[in-house]
Amino acid sequence: MAEQGKTKLSRRDFLRLVGLGGVGVAATSIAASPLAKPLAANPSFRAKKFTDPAGRPDRPWWVKTVDQPTTEIDWDMMQRYNERMGTVRGPGFAEYVGEARADELGDIGNAFLQNALENNAPGYTLKDQALKASQGARMDLSFMGPQKAKTPEEWGVPKWTGTPDEAARIVRAAFRHNGAATVGFVELDENTRKLIYGVDPDGKELIFTDDDEASETDEARYIPNKAKWMIVYTVQMSEETLKRAPTVLASQTTSLAYKRGRIIQNSSQEFLRGLGYMGLGESSTNALAISPAFGVMAGLGEMSRLNRLITPEFGPMVRVFKMLTDLPLATDKPIDAGIMEFCKSCKKCAEACGGEALSFEDPTWEVRGGWNNPGHKAFFEDATKCRTWQKTDTGTNCGICFAVCPFAKKDKAWIHEWVKASTSAAPVLDGFFRSMDDAFGYGVMKDNEEWWSLDLPEYGCDSGGML
Amino acid sequence: MTEKFTIEVKKRAWYEWVLWALWLFSVVAILQNAVASAGELEPRAAAISWITFFVLLIAGGAVWFMRRSK
Repeated sequence: MAEQGKTKLSRRDFLRLVGLGGVGVAATSIAASPLAKPLAANPSFRAKKFTDPAGRPDRPWWVKTVDQPTTEIDWDMMQRYNERMGTVRGPGFAEYVGEARADELGDIGNAFLQNALENNAPGYTLKDQALKASQGARMDLSFMGPQKAKTPEEWGVPKWTGTPDEAARIVRAAFRHNGAATVGFVELDENTRKLIYGVDPDGKELIFTDDDEASETDEARYIPNKAKWMIVYTVQMSEETLKRAPTVLASQTTSLAYKRGRIIQNSSQEFLRGLGYMGLGESSTNALAISPAFGVMAGLGEMSRLNRLITPEFGPMVRVFKMLTDLPLATDKPIDAGIMEFCKSCKKCAEACGGEALSFEDPTWEVRGGWNNPGHKAFFEDATKCRTWQKTDTGTNCGICFAVCPFAKKDKAWIHEWVKASTSAAPVLDGFFRSMDDAFGYGVMKDNEEWWSLDLPEYGCDSGGML
Repeated sequence: MTEKFTIEVKKRAWYEWVLWALWLFSVVAILQNAVASAGELEPRAAAISWITFFVLLIAGGAVWFMRRSK
């Protein structure tokens, strides 16, 4: 009997095996199912009603709202910034490196592109350049908006009214519908008003007035004091595409996000006008106000070693946009998801930065140049090194720092959310998670030619499973 | 004269079941990671996860096989 017991499978053992096998088969089926992919990847497949009266998204427990942002701010030190001093738009870059050097770098960048095209360098081929060019087909931006929508006055009805919660909910729904990934609101006070530029990239002053309506002249844009609610919204970039950085193919996803931002801005300005309110937008890309700062204050994300916004949902794979309105909105609080803390030990972006432009130090109050706005404690970057390296070694916008960031994940694997939760709850593990990120091969530059064989969703965006 | 036999039945300790539950959870989580990493187009993460999955599965099977007669 004993001999038989050792060689034959008992009924109990058989049932155990069936149970284990069943669990395995079920798990494989769920994970591999074609249904699981859209369910995990696309928030629209999880249509549900807002549970919050102001339409705030249901975020995981580890995204905590806080009274003070994780970036320390000294509001007394903060001044309204002149965006002409930035290195991307306006004369700032030429002033920092000299006119001749700026011209020389422009020529070097153009020669790099031409050479890479003629040599069929991956990510720089004619089809890559053509795709990049397609993102240049932009619609105009303006401070006041298209002003075409029929107003309540023209309809002969009173303007829309509701509580700040109701207003926040419908504005959030409209912005999301028009293409925004996440939306948050900040009420301007004597402090947050300092995050509005003093001078726009085109040189026009931004002036607050007691006027009832906004206006614009050749010298200035006038913002009525009653327009004191800032709508802050993000637009996703394609993580899969930007992971090909630094190439023309990768950088065009940035241009695409800006193009989509323009569409959202124009549409939303018309939406607000249709309700009977003003929507004062960016007169050009990144105009009006400091995007990452408002992103932080609106609780959309935290500052990072990139000196850009990192969101819990999409990591750094977003662009941030702003719009002022006089429609009273329920505001949002900053968040603490452990992102800023993680950046202190990670440094992956700084190590990968070809231009050695990113900081390896802890956050500091000391700015690196006129392109940084003093008054907050941050990982300040050397923007002139960044722009110079982009010209000499990429011929285009770089984006390596976005691509290698451990928060830049598609969130299909459960482990990513568990790591994010652990990062928030137990920062002592941050160094270990950074090592594991390397070991698993995340952040390695992907094949540019392979991209043209991928069947990606619209806009190449396949992230955001946790929303 | 009748012979007496004593049959001793040992019940598995509670912590052994906890360890098996942890093993099962790990196997399922790593399997999900392997499949999802392929969906994320992260080949190295997928390969490491598949290897870990099979090693863990075989190790669990071996332990179960060795202990099943006890």
